[in-house]
Formats: sequence, C-alpha cells, structure tokens
Amino acid sequence: MNDFRDIESELQKLRPAPLRPEFAARLEQAHQRESAVPTSAGVLPATRSRRMNWLSLGLGVSLAGAAGFLLLMRVDEPAKPLPEPARLALATPGNAIQSSPVREAQFLPAGMTQVVYRTHNEGLRFPEGNARPVRMMRYETRETMRWQNPATGASLRVSYPSDETVFIPVTGH
Amino acid sequence: MENAATHEDWKVCFSEIGPGLVLFARQWARSRADAEDIVQDAFVRFWRKQHPIGNRALLFATVRSIGIDLLRRNSRRARREVEASLDGETTSEPVFQFEDEGQRTLARAIDELPAEQREVVVMKIWNELTFQEIGSVLGISHNTAASRYRYALTSLKRHLQPQ
Repeated sequence: MNDFRDIESELQKLRPAPLRPEFAARLEQAHQRESAVPTSAGVLPATRSRRMNWLSLGLGVSLAGAAGFLLLMRVDEPAKPLPEPARLALATPGNAIQSSPVREAQFLPAGMTQVVYRTHNEGLRFPEGNARPVRMMRYETRETMRWQNPATGASLRVSYPSDETVFIPVTGH
Repeated sequence: MENAATHEDWKVCFSEIGPGLVLFARQWARSRADAEDIVQDAFVRFWRKQHPIGNRALLFATVRSIGIDLLRRNSRRARREVEASLDGETTSEPVFQFEDEGQRTLARAIDELPAEQREVVVMKIWNELTFQEIGSVLGISHNTAASRYRYALTSLKRHLQPQ
C-alpha cells in the first residue's frame, strides 16, 4: 500500500460534513425513547408468534363457548328448566339424536375467515449465531369464526385481531 | 446480550462516527435528509436488538441494508429522477467540507468510482474500518475488500494525475 500513501493522505484531508445539530438532537431523542421503552423486536424466536396465534384461537373458542352458554341461558329462561348436561351440549355427532329442545340449542360451526389487512416488512435481522440474516415480516390479521343454529337461525360471531411475525431466511447477494 | 453502553456513550458514538455513517449512507440516498433517516433507522434497529456499541461492522451492515432497501423501494422514482437529472442541471448538497478546488476535484473523482469500490473507500478512509470488518459488512473476504480498495485508489490516483 506504500504506493498509495499520497492519495490516502489527500483523502484523509477531506473531511465529511459534520452532523447537523438538529440531527444529533434527533438521534439523542430517539435513543432516549428506545431506552425508555423495553422492546423485544428481533429477539422473538420465529415460533413465538405462532404460539400467540394459537393462544388467540383458543381464547376465541373459549369466548364463543361462553357466549353460547349465556345465549342458551337467556333463551331458555321462561321455559321449564332442562337438565344441565343437555343444555350445555355442543355440536357433536353424538348430539344429533337428542331431543328437540336440545337440538334448538345447538350452534354449528358455520365458517372461519382470516383477513390479512396489513403487511410490514421490518427489514433484515441478524440473529445471534446465524451466518445469514433473516427478513422479519409482520402480518396483522383479523380472524372471524361463525356458528349458526340451524333450528332457530341465530348466529354467533367472534372476531379478534392477531399479529403474526415470520422470519424468512435471506439467501443470495 | 447485555448492552452496557450508557446514553453518554451513545452521544460520544454519534459525534465520532455519525458524520462517517451519514457519508456512507449517502451512497443510497438522494439527499442528506434521506441519509440521516437511514442512519437513525439503523441506530434504532441496533438499540432494539441490543447490540454492543463496539460492533461497528454490524452497524454499517445495518445502514447498508436499510439503504439498499430504500433504494429498491424507490427505484422507480429514482429512475425517473435520474432521467430528469440527465436532462437538467443536478443539484446536490456537499457531503464533504472543502478547503480548496483540489478537494472538490477529488470528491468528484470519488463520486465517479464504481459503487462497490466507493463503499470500501468510505468505510476505510472516513470510518477507519479494517478490511476484516469491511469484508464482514459486505459479505466478502478481507482480501477482496483490500483489492477493491487498491483498485479505487489506483483509479483516484490516475484521475488526479496531471494530463
């Protein structure tokens, strides 16, 4: 590199423009903001979001069950009380041959939709121990589950948001 | 991973490597403001992942990655701007502090370098990264980084020699 000493010296005399004070202040503010809010972006394992999704699903089903139960209680209020186990019966093949009041209380799954309404490309992440970077994609979705009572026409709908994060290995370059 | 750097440490870091990082980011940005946004975004990502303050190669790699993403996102707009700029006079903010005309000529020569050589020169001269670190940022060997640097200096030297 000795041949380049002169040109290197000339280049080093050239100084980059200093940081603008407003930009330096902006960086400081950004750092204070980030320090104040603990974040976990990029630290989440790839599978965690899936688990969160299943949790949401489980929560949705539980809510649907609870709502169905409350609905049954209200519908049956003026009528003669039925045996508890029959009233709580859900839609299963075994329940198909039950007596008429019980069939009226049945809510059958009528459909489920998952709508991705926003996709965020969070850019590259460099997980520790990985030789290659991964791209972090975040999907905001809304899942809706519907049940319907064929006898009465009543329907029940549970809708909840979910947030899924996917890490895609980057190849090439 | 514990990030023990304090706010004061980061302030020192901004003042020391900030100008070089903005200069580095300018390669993918159309303006100084865009370059500053790239650098800020890179720092934010760096903090969120709690990388150690001393990992300069990773910081530069993050700036580069964000810069390239930005360039790709805006490629259509950028093409239009380039076409427009070919028709008219280009206006760009100075990225260096010039003391004389010779330095302006040198800066123009740096602008004319192929991108892959220019980014090595920027990292080596104004950010003092080692070839090992440069190789890590670019995903190439340190030998390749060193050759690109030599090619760049040869080209700059030739450019500045009196005709």
